[in-house]
Amino acid sequence: MAHFQIKDLSFSYPTAKGKKSLDGVSLSIEKGEYIVLCGKSGSGKTTLLRQLKSVLAPHGKKQGEILFNGTPIEKVNQRVQSAKIGYVMQNPDDQIVTDKVWHELAFGLESLGCDQKTMRARVAEMACYFGIQDWFHRDVANLSGGQKQLLNLASIMAMQPEILILDEPTSQLDPIAASDFLNTVRKINIELGTTVIITEHRLEDIFPYADRAVVMDGGKIIADDTPRNIGKLLYKQKNDMFAAMPTPIRVFYGAGGNGDCPLTVREGRTWLSKTYPEPMVNILPAEELDDEIEKPALSLKELWFRYEKDSPDVLRGVSADVPAGTLYAIVGGNGAGKSTTLKAVCGICKPYRGKVKVFGKPVEKYKSTELFGGCLAMLPQDPKSLFVKKTVREDLAEMTKDEKRIAEIAAVCEIKSLLSSHPYDLSGGEQQRAALAKVLLTEPRLLLLDEPTKGIDSFFKEKLATILCKLKEQGITIVMVSHDVEFCAKYADMVSMFFDGQMLTTDTPRRFFGNNSFYTTAANRMSRHVFSMAVTAEDVVELCRQNKEAAV
Amino acid sequence: MGFEKCHPAVNFIYFTTVIAGMIVFKHPIFLLISFVCAFIYSIKRNGLKALVFNVILLPCVAAYAFYYSSYNHFGVTVLQQNMIGNNMTLESLVYGFVLGFVIAGVLIWFSCVYSVFTTDKVVYLFGKVSPRLSLFLAIILRMVPRIKKEAEKINTAQRGIGRGANQGNVFQRLRNSIRILSMLITWTIDSLTLVSESMRSRGSSLRGRKAFSIYRFDNRDRAYVVSNFACLTVIFMAVMLKQTDILYDPRILMNPITTMSYLFYVGYAVFCLMPLGLELWTEYRFWKARKVL
Repeated sequence: MAHFQIKDLSFSYPTAKGKKSLDGVSLSIEKGEYIVLCGKSGSGKTTLLRQLKSVLAPHGKKQGEILFNGTPIEKVNQRVQSAKIGYVMQNPDDQIVTDKVWHELAFGLESLGCDQKTMRARVAEMACYFGIQDWFHRDVANLSGGQKQLLNLASIMAMQPEILILDEPTSQLDPIAASDFLNTVRKINIELGTTVIITEHRLEDIFPYADRAVVMDGGKIIADDTPRNIGKLLYKQKNDMFAAMPTPIRVFYGAGGNGDCPLTVREGRTWLSKTYPEPMVNILPAEELDDEIEKPALSLKELWFRYEKDSPDVLRGVSADVPAGTLYAIVGGNGAGKSTTLKAVCGICKPYRGKVKVFGKPVEKYKSTELFGGCLAMLPQDPKSLFVKKTVREDLAEMTKDEKRIAEIAAVCEIKSLLSSHPYDLSGGEQQRAALAKVLLTEPRLLLLDEPTKGIDSFFKEKLATILCKLKEQGITIVMVSHDVEFCAKYADMVSMFFDGQMLTTDTPRRFFGNNSFYTTAANRMSRHVFSMAVTAEDVVELCRQNKEAAV
Repeated sequence: MGFEKCHPAVNFIYFTTVIAGMIVFKHPIFLLISFVCAFIYSIKRNGLKALVFNVILLPCVAAYAFYYSSYNHFGVTVLQQNMIGNNMTLESLVYGFVLGFVIAGVLIWFSCVYSVFTTDKVVYLFGKVSPRLSLFLAIILRMVPRIKKEAEKINTAQRGIGRGANQGNVFQRLRNSIRILSMLITWTIDSLTLVSESMRSRGSSLRGRKAFSIYRFDNRDRAYVVSNFACLTVIFMAVMLKQTDILYDPRILMNPITTMSYLFYVGYAVFCLMPLGLELWTEYRFWKARKVL
């Protein structure tokens, strides 16, 4: 008997005027399976997942049937549903209910009314399994994002669910915390046999381990197969979702590979060495960086900063010159001081040593209105915190009275259709673009972006990249702080490594990532033994093509 | 290692009784015993900060006494007449001091309560009464710091586009602040919706909720409660024998101090010093255990 059996399920929201969010979805999930659900934002993934648990199911018109262990889900009582179907949501902060780690772990057990002895045993068990002992007594507020999401998972696992549903659980986490979290989920699946259904942007980390991948588009399931076959199928269909596939798959089909496609970097390497044992062309031209930058848009000279008098320095001599009209990316680990650097540029943090010059003029010499009106603007990490009105249109009207300009910017950021929605109702990618529009209305010549790709799927990332390219053409200088090496490798003009409060190395992306062997893109890790300076999937495909031509 | 490591119920019983004693007993000796013990214990717990706080309280007590006696004129021993012709009496002045010390004493005891009782102990105690109430409290304890953090975040974001609460002229600042506040409210509602979803998803609406605790009632707690009630028995005897009674109006009148009385005083002092004794004893034991190694 299937664990979950979805039969011809259709669903439409009351506000959608008959438009179906789910359209004839049929899916069978066996016990112990690990299933990845992928699709663009708005393809109905979340709507589908929410139908699997009655308390979370949205209101609307529903047709079809969902069977949980053979019983229709509406007839499964709440107690069983609470315990047996675990559901992890996107934002780690919004799921934590209580103020202490230990209390949160026990929350579900309290609801089920377990006795003290059982609760103690289960909580202890969970704390050990998830490595929470060290922060068991802490306040939730002091945890990192990764720890918070792990706590959410642990507190759900404490109820011993049979099935675990995860809705983009790592979209708010940094890459290291994200892959830790996904590894834990995998461990649960393998060691405990818990069925896992997960939606995720970061397919590289989960695709190789999934039993099945289900692709959704426009509320329908368009493919349901093993990950290897899915790659092939999407490539044949020329589906947009192909861009979201892990690098090895994209390179394989991009270079016209035949047979079974590689899923992991290791498989990709084996395939490349077999196909190109002695490549004729093995290097792409990588332009060098000019030593002298004339008239930098932004120049930082040995910035030192700390938040409190007795706290350690966050910035320890940050120096950088950003040439005008470029996209400058700063990469580096968590808490290295990248965001603080941006704050120092726009005067939110005041360095106690060093100089910030914006367009050749020290930042403190600007008047506030002059600085933020037409000179620079910052897009914060959480785009939500930029909105202050009920609709996107009102929010944009905040910034300028010029209707024409608003329409222009809305067109650039592709948010025309969203103008009358509440900013909080938009998806992550849409919020990001609406926030960008708002920031652009201050007419900045220097744009600071803090993690612009956080929580956005690959489709929206490409959209964002096109917008950024357009802005660059208009002569806007962009400084971006990011964890997303793939994005930086593909679109940045210059990349800097931030470590230990300093800007360590700066180079063009090809040379920067080409010379790194750990902190680099999947394409580079996959191809570095045969090609050098190939840092994106496109680079590798290009080299493969050149080699093929040379062979002919 | 101290009193805060005892079971919350023990903390609760002790502090309710000791503060009740502080309030009820107007007898100067009992009053002084409790006040001095609170004074010492608060210094033990909070160090120099407590000393400064307590010492500042003393002139306040005197000031209160003079204020009280200039408005209340009961009693028979007239000290002098004030400028509008009212009698200043010894009785009202003394009673003013007594009230002042009671208030100061309660404040000092509360400073000790504050350092012993962490929020999770409060949540636990409420959980004994009603698991739902304690859950509610825990949610508030989580939300308040979150809202504060979000306010900061929104403000920083707004500053990044020149619309912060401290940018622009006075009117702009006011407008920016109001906007930030209104968005903060929207955020709070939005986030509470999500939290409630997460709660329901984990069965918060099921019947028969229980409260989990990490506390254990051990033998030390038992011993403490037993001694607590032993002392209370002695004090109760004092009350029965009218040893704690005193009249301030119209004259200061109290029962004679006998040998028996000293027993009661010692009993009350032991009671008030119990947490301090416990802490010193544990520290001594720890020190000794260390020394052997």
